[in-house]
Amino acid sequence: MSDRDGLTDGGTATRDRSQSGRPDSPVVSRLRRTAGTWLFRLAYLVVFAFLLAPILVVVASSFDATGAVTFPPEALSARWYGELLASEAWTRAIRNSLVVATGTTLFATTLGVLAALGVRRLDDDLSAVVSALAVLPLLVPGVVLGVTLLVFFSEFGLQQRLPTLVLAHSLWATPLTYSVVRATFARFDWSVRDAALDLGATRPRAFREVVVPNVRAGLAAAALVAFVVSLQEFVMTLFLSGRDTRTVPVKAWNSLRNSLDPLVSVTSTLLVVAVLLVVVGAGVLVGLERLARDS
Amino acid sequence: MSLAGATPGRLRRAVDDRSATLLVVPLLLFDLAVFVVPFGYLLRIALSERATAQAYVEGSWSVESFTYLATASNVHELFAFTLGFAVVATVVSLAVSLLYAYAMWRADGALRVVLTAGVLVSMFTAIVVKLFAAVLVYSPNGLVNDLLVGSGLLAEPLLLVNNGVGALLGQLYVIVPYSVLAVYSVLATIDESLLEAARDLGAGPIRTVRAVVVPHVVPGLLVGGVISFTWSIGAYAAPLLIGSGSERTAGIAVSDFLLQQFDWPVAAALGLVVTATVFLALVVTWLALSRSGVDTGV
Repeated sequence: MSDRDGLTDGGTATRDRSQSGRPDSPVVSRLRRTAGTWLFRLAYLVVFAFLLAPILVVVASSFDATGAVTFPPEALSARWYGELLASEAWTRAIRNSLVVATGTTLFATTLGVLAALGVRRLDDDLSAVVSALAVLPLLVPGVVLGVTLLVFFSEFGLQQRLPTLVLAHSLWATPLTYSVVRATFARFDWSVRDAALDLGATRPRAFREVVVPNVRAGLAAAALVAFVVSLQEFVMTLFLSGRDTRTVPVKAWNSLRNSLDPLVSVTSTLLVVAVLLVVVGAGVLVGLERLARDS
Repeated sequence: MSLAGATPGRLRRAVDDRSATLLVVPLLLFDLAVFVVPFGYLLRIALSERATAQAYVEGSWSVESFTYLATASNVHELFAFTLGFAVVATVVSLAVSLLYAYAMWRADGALRVVLTAGVLVSMFTAIVVKLFAAVLVYSPNGLVNDLLVGSGLLAEPLLLVNNGVGALLGQLYVIVPYSVLAVYSVLATIDESLLEAARDLGAGPIRTVRAVVVPHVVPGLLVGGVISFTWSIGAYAAPLLIGSGSERTAGIAVSDFLLQQFDWPVAAALGLVVTATVFLALVVTWLALSRSGVDTGV
């Protein structure tokens, strides 16, 4: 925290007080200022700890030798990672998660890019309608979506299939890829592409050779967001998956409902590591600031 | 648009631009097939007769599921609890988010990166992982109580899970990251010289925040509030895993009606009412925003 800190600027606090007719001595006002700064720091550090402490605890407990799921672990060991690899149910869940997340990434990114390209040419009112429609599914509670899709897809015997999960996850991933790609396109100077078109390039070629290289980071960020959304989605999948199509979060949920399975810590840790890699990757590609604002 | 003076390249581009708008069609078709039509199907089931031996009476028409929702007192309690839960979660989430987003915005360099990364990591962590972790941290023999009792601050551990407090804590893990980012994205657009001007004119730090920052950040708070509220109205996982069972939300009831009582018309009707409540909240917020002249950016 620098001295730009608005809450801690005590020089003006003195002025404020003297205006209200209760001048404090410089010592008192300095104390006030220091106390205010530390209170503010303490408050946001508590929130920071609130957000991240659980994740640390999960990672630590995955290395507990006893499998008691306690913190801090009494003796460190990686034995539960071995147990995980030996468990067929868990490895299948991991495989399902990866397959669905990859499918969702490809599908949602394609839809998002196409729509973001198309919507540029619509007038403002129409593009607002398209954007609103695109974002709508994100606002429907997951339970309701899960129930709706279960009822609908079971009519055709399509529930409990991996492609169905891809479609369900895309319902939430597509609005995000669309928004990220739109934000990316808004920063691109399209006259460069128009120049390529004037020079005789076909539209696909101009897109491939002029647009893509310039917006690559944004497209990658969109794909990563889609991947993570699919990896962590759970309520819809709870309703739509069966014994053979469970993803990691659903398998973890089922284990948790029964007992505290140490393998939950292990898979949770793997999920956290995957997410960290993605956030770091996206941070390198487009910058954390932009990721924070676009997604 | 006059095409008379257009060069061949421009003419072709104008034609292409028309066809380029067709690129939105796949997205619209997808939403139609996997969102609009399934919801139509849900509405059809909600308007069917309830049956005892099967999920619903196929081909029948009836509004009895909606009548049931309107008259049953346990449904009223369900809604009262869900609304109360959502309001409390939203208020707490906004207070925490304003504080944290403000710290993120005022911070420089490494601290800013750390605070931003913290909220992104939490946001992208699977809900199940966060809830499972919250159980570890807040249970009677968890980290927080170990610290409180171990340091002598408390004689007895606090009951933070398997009750309403637990359900609320769990829900905060779901909504706070989104709400922080919503507030932050608006804060990031404040011209910092406004703050200096306020200070130069004699405003104290707290007054600066109240008179300059808070009014400016209202759209962000509203967006964060809408996200927190809509997601809490649909809360399912947090109350189920860290609540006690008496924290029954409408979302949990939808799932129970469908899977345990096998009463599809009521499950469908309740799902639709929950969704309608969410959209009503959105419309009201949007109207309030546009009436107050705030650019909604939608």
